[in-house]
Amino acid sequence: MSELGKKRWTCAEFEKALPDLFERAEGGKLSADPQFAEILRDCPQAAELVRDLEYIAETARLLMEPEDEDPSTDLWSKIQREIGSDGVAAKESMQ
Amino acid sequence: MEVQGNRMTQINAAPPTGNFKRNPPIAGEADALERAKNGDPDAFSKLYALHKRRVYTLCLRMLGNVSEAEDMTQEAFLHLYRKLGSFRGESAFSTWLHRLTVNLVLMHLRKKGLQLVSLEETINPSEEDAPRRDFGSRDPRLSGSVDRVALERAVATLPPGYRLVFVLHDVEGYEHNEIAEMLECSTGNSKSQLHKARLKLREILRQNEQITASQESK
Repeated sequence: MSELGKKRWTCAEFEKALPDLFERAEGGKLSADPQFAEILRDCPQAAELVRDLEYIAETARLLMEPEDEDPSTDLWSKIQREIGSDGVAAKESMQ
Repeated sequence: MEVQGNRMTQINAAPPTGNFKRNPPIAGEADALERAKNGDPDAFSKLYALHKRRVYTLCLRMLGNVSEAEDMTQEAFLHLYRKLGSFRGESAFSTWLHRLTVNLVLMHLRKKGLQLVSLEETINPSEEDAPRRDFGSRDPRLSGSVDRVALERAVATLPPGYRLVFVLHDVEGYEHNEIAEMLECSTGNSKSQLHKARLKLREILRQNEQITASQESK
């Protein structure tokens, strides 16, 4: 068991340490770590906080694949115009 | 539109080392990449079509502004056009393009007013924006039915500093040491900002749930 696991937490200490504890937790899943089972059982408010923050982080991963947000249709025309006026410097970099 | 050619040549476009499997192979990308490197304009158009949505979405999430996101998407593809020859395939192309885009957006934000002051100080939002939380206080739980649309809306309302760290870490999968390097802050600051961002999101999402519940009960 790690030093963190041996520590006797108060609820306040545990909540204060959460940024670090989340970072150290396997897959960011603090609630699944047995060394924190006791403090999460003893501090229901901390357990709810952990549960919510884990849920937010999990849901955030769904945002990685964009669904239906495209840039405006004329953006490509603007890029083409800029490329056209970019001249030799652009071509050189592509060789 | 200003193009930041010289400074961007120094950008470290190393692949992120996060846990996310963000870059499955894209059909047709490798061929388009090779042809675009050889100056084929149709191939570059294909790369734009393949990646415009992810680049634009990334810009939009980081900036929270449609107009700026479009400008930075344009900037990213122009920069890509110029620097395509320097892509050596050491990471997935989309990883490389993502990192290039992140760096461009951060450079843009610094040019808007953050360049002379450490981001470590300036990304901290005002006390009014900070999540209010008393240790030991008991709050209503999130219902567990927060969907991506609700979260997306909540992220858009975060203060810029929180939003940046949240998007880079929780959405894009960058590690705190990478974020610290990008934002020129400490890893401790990145962790702290992420935690505050999540707390703030929890607060926003709970408020939204309460509003919805009270509307439904009327």
